[in-house]
Amino acid sequence: MHDIIRQLEKKREMARLGGGQKRIDSQHAKGKLTARERIELLLDPDSFEEWDLFKEHRCTDFGMDKAEKTPGDGVVVGYGTINGRLVFVFSQDFTVFGGSLSETHAEKICKVMDHAMKVGAPVIGLNDSGGARIQEGVASLGGYADVFQRNVMASGVVPQISMIMGPCAGGAVYSPSMTDFIFMVKDSSYMFVTGPEVVKTVTHEDVTAEELGGAVTHTSKSGVADLAFENDVEALSMLRRFMNYLPANNREKPPVTPTEDPADRMDHSLDTLVPDNANKPYDMKELIIKVVDDNDFFEIQPDYAKNIIIGFGRMDGNPVGIVANQPLVLAGCLDIKSSIKAARFVRFCDAFNIPVVTFVDVPGFMPGTTQEYGGIIKHGAKLLYAYAECTVPKVTVITRKAYGGAYDVMSSKHLRGDVNLAWPSAEIAVMGPKGAVEIIFREEKNDPAKLAQREAEYKEKFANPFVAGARGFIDDVIMPHATRKRICRSLAMLRDKQLDNPWRKHGNIPL
Amino acid sequence: MFTKILIANRGEIACRVIKTARKMGIKTVAVYSEADKDALHVDLADEAVCIGPAASKESYLVMDKIIAACKETGAQAVHPGYGFLSENATFSRRLEEEGIKFIGPKHYSVAKMGDKIESKKLAIEAKVNTIPGYNDAIAGPDEAVKIAQGIGYPVMIKASAGGGGKGLRVAYNDAEAHEGFSSCVNEARNSFGDDRVFIEKYVLEPRHIEIQVLGDSHGNYVYLNERDCSIQRRHQKVIEEAPSPFVDPEMRKAMGEQAVALARAVNYESAGTVEFVVSGATKEFYFLEMNTRLQVEHPVTELITGLDLVEQMIRVAYGEKLPLSQADVKINGWAMECRINAEDPFRGFLPSTGRLVKFQPPAEIPGQVRVDTGVYDGGEISMYYDSMIAKLIVHGATREQAVARMRDALNAFVIRGISSNIPFQAALMQHPVFHSGIFDTGFIPKHYPTGFDASMVPHDDPALLVSVAAFVYRSFTDRSASITGQLQGHERKVSDKWMVIRLKGEEKEQHPVVARPIAGGYHVEYKGEQYEILSDWQLGESLFRGTCNGEEFTLQIERHKTKYSLFHWGTRADFMVMSARAAELLALMPEKPAPDLSKFLMSPMPGLLREVAVKVGQDVKAGEKLAVIEAMKMENILKAEQDCKVKKISAAAGESLSVDQIIIEFE
Repeated sequence: MHDIIRQLEKKREMARLGGGQKRIDSQHAKGKLTARERIELLLDPDSFEEWDLFKEHRCTDFGMDKAEKTPGDGVVVGYGTINGRLVFVFSQDFTVFGGSLSETHAEKICKVMDHAMKVGAPVIGLNDSGGARIQEGVASLGGYADVFQRNVMASGVVPQISMIMGPCAGGAVYSPSMTDFIFMVKDSSYMFVTGPEVVKTVTHEDVTAEELGGAVTHTSKSGVADLAFENDVEALSMLRRFMNYLPANNREKPPVTPTEDPADRMDHSLDTLVPDNANKPYDMKELIIKVVDDNDFFEIQPDYAKNIIIGFGRMDGNPVGIVANQPLVLAGCLDIKSSIKAARFVRFCDAFNIPVVTFVDVPGFMPGTTQEYGGIIKHGAKLLYAYAECTVPKVTVITRKAYGGAYDVMSSKHLRGDVNLAWPSAEIAVMGPKGAVEIIFREEKNDPAKLAQREAEYKEKFANPFVAGARGFIDDVIMPHATRKRICRSLAMLRDKQLDNPWRKHGNIPL
Repeated sequence: MFTKILIANRGEIACRVIKTARKMGIKTVAVYSEADKDALHVDLADEAVCIGPAASKESYLVMDKIIAACKETGAQAVHPGYGFLSENATFSRRLEEEGIKFIGPKHYSVAKMGDKIESKKLAIEAKVNTIPGYNDAIAGPDEAVKIAQGIGYPVMIKASAGGGGKGLRVAYNDAEAHEGFSSCVNEARNSFGDDRVFIEKYVLEPRHIEIQVLGDSHGNYVYLNERDCSIQRRHQKVIEEAPSPFVDPEMRKAMGEQAVALARAVNYESAGTVEFVVSGATKEFYFLEMNTRLQVEHPVTELITGLDLVEQMIRVAYGEKLPLSQADVKINGWAMECRINAEDPFRGFLPSTGRLVKFQPPAEIPGQVRVDTGVYDGGEISMYYDSMIAKLIVHGATREQAVARMRDALNAFVIRGISSNIPFQAALMQHPVFHSGIFDTGFIPKHYPTGFDASMVPHDDPALLVSVAAFVYRSFTDRSASITGQLQGHERKVSDKWMVIRLKGEEKEQHPVVARPIAGGYHVEYKGEQYEILSDWQLGESLFRGTCNGEEFTLQIERHKTKYSLFHWGTRADFMVMSARAAELLALMPEKPAPDLSKFLMSPMPGLLREVAVKVGQDVKAGEKLAVIEAMKMENILKAEQDCKVKKISAAAGESLSVDQIIIEFE
């Protein structure tokens, strides 16, 4: 028996070394941690239960049968806890065959995904893989597709998070792309469908891997990824923090983190947040930070489509998803990128029972050929669709402009907004005063004095929250300093909200 | 007594005058420019009148508008505060003509003291010590050299109408005197339209010490001791204190009596200040000038004498007699004032404007801490006016106690959204030379020759910072560990052992600690020492008040991702806290070089881009003008740091710039 135990220990030890010390050192030299080190930082100490440590590949072609078989086959899988809450994890091991995906490697990933679905717990993938195991050919491709299918089945059932911590190229990108959030590490991770060499031969573009698909590219240009971190340690530490906002699955409410921050905390500095001049911007993030519990706002996609802000916070200890127009950027208008960014976020919150709090200061949709040719009609509709479909508690606060169709889109009463509040500075109207009078009083367009007077009249009449209030589109006009209190109360009232959409196979969101 | 007065000023001084008027049962009228319509002084006053656009010369400096506002509201008197129209003899006279009282000296006193040459003559007549020098017009550089030789080097050449350091030269020899005279005349002509220049002895180790005087319309005068304002940056006072650590009773008496003699010579009614330059080497003092107004730093005098100077000014203006004689004037303890400016000490003290995202001054404690301010939480610092947003004044039984109170008060002063000079003030407050009391007006250029950097500020209790970092991190960690939905029987158990990492540039100092929760805080064991830290600090708050082994302290905290920045006594310390294992792995992470920003010209401050002086493709030599930014009334010229070629211009003239916004890209 002792012999067998010793043998087991030896085998384990070998497996834990992955591709061997030399490759581990080379991984470190690239500024990357190993698959196991990453899991160690991600999970609570000593909580990791590893599976399939002894799994080996079955490939016999191209001398693979003669090569040393590394137990584990390039991916470490299992489950553990983050702050005591169950998560499933797979972590690709670049030191073993470059983390390449073989049939057996894929099977391991599928195993944890299946379990996660069975028990209803999130799946976190730590990606660091050179791509398909070429030697295995179509078996490897099949492995990818098996994972893809599970990603789709798990979508909206359990949260799926991808942390890209090394290469992720070709077909491999499509698994993360279907998960709920993609995080990346700066300078050591990249994602692209085709690499720089192929790009050069096909389009003659000279581009580095970092420029083509690095963390900064995907979090600021393409919007593929949600957050970029400085290094592995920061990334995993922030991922732990991020998981505190998510429920384990779609049947659960998100977890509660008790707070000492009083729900009725007033902040009088908010009374001066909105400038008198309607064309002067202000930072909507200040409002968000001052309203959420402990001033703690976890922003998602901070560098992409900055005209809309999305992220998580807590109110009264309960996670909420926050969507807010950002007047500092493009006056906070809706355009293609911002609509897609917010729509996807609202749908995530809806899928996982996270209430949505929306702060509105929107002058309308962005005009122009770029937008129209780009399909703003369909893309803008995504956000409209997402809000209209959404059945979680929805609380909306209009701080200033809510003009035109964009007013309707931004979680309005008409889209089943549960509680719609407005600051005294709110202007809910079909458009800004200047544009409106130029249309209504077209015949006076050559008389600037008269037009100015009309504009003042229009402003007087419509540039306030009371017209909308008279129709019940606004439930109340609130003092800015009481915003937190009013939102907290509304959400407390809505905690047991029940609302179901009619049965259907699935809706047909304008993709 | 008056029933209603108007305050022809803004900011903290307007608020301060309103407070006294209210205490005296007098109604107040504020005036404000369009930029100030939401300002605190407007809010505090019983009535407020808008007097025009933001620019001072179209509002606060327009006498007609202020007189009209008096008539409109029925104000019987005007308090001018300081700056603006406070030392304008015409304004004082015009009010008199309109039958409105000017709460300040009579116009003739203002006029006589307003001219440097005139005032010096008067001082000599009144037997006030004056700096050896030459007061008459000087024909040319050759004569200037002769005069300088007569006085003896070093000499100072100064524009008669000058001020604030403009039109001033120091010469140590004939050549410098020759050159200095010519350039001074030019500068005086261009800046002030008055090319009169005078030459005087340059005082070594000069201290700036001033005497507060008070006179009434019945010929009574007192001096209210001195203020030491030697801590200056570019001729702007930074810290003021009363009494002076340098002045002894005989000197005080001599200076005070001369100050009164001068006030008497011009029939001075109201509060005024006689400024002296005092040689730290010889104790000799010389009259500099008389400020015929309430000074910014008057509160330090109020705290040591127990008088309300604004109240006295109002009473004197109404015709009352002074309530005290010289024998009644005492010195009670020590008072000190720090000027809190909206400026960035880490960027060469450039002005900082914008929204006060947070403004939480330390709590006022009668007899210990006083805060005079004109701004509020959520207010706006506009670029149109002076950068001083508050005065922090403390009082203690001794100078040491006053310094200690100031340090605590600075720790507790929370300002976010704009930069302030608080870290610099805190650094000064712990400078050994400042503590010694032996310094002169050259203190700041001497000890901070290349500007200010938080890393220059050593912290004398790093263990406190490490312990608080551990406290804060554990608070967050324990909070997360209390989350619902944990696997029963497998809940998160938070370890007591942590590695506190202090980030010093690229260096990562590791400090292993044991942090255990105790009632009301954490017990931290660090380097074998025990620190019991108790605090009711709440997660997310900037201000951290607590006790460390029973001793009270206050500091400020900001969390950014996984970093915690602690601000205390002028030091900024950045920390990360993690398990020892994580720290080991962190050590494997490469240090990333900071991005090369030399290819960009970035706006060092928020402001208005007045001009871009170069074109795309232009070759620029080092030192050449690139752009002009206007902020806080100041034009700031940005020059090329090296030879370069302009690749792209990213901002246009007239555009409002934010900090670090790119203006020009170079090749």
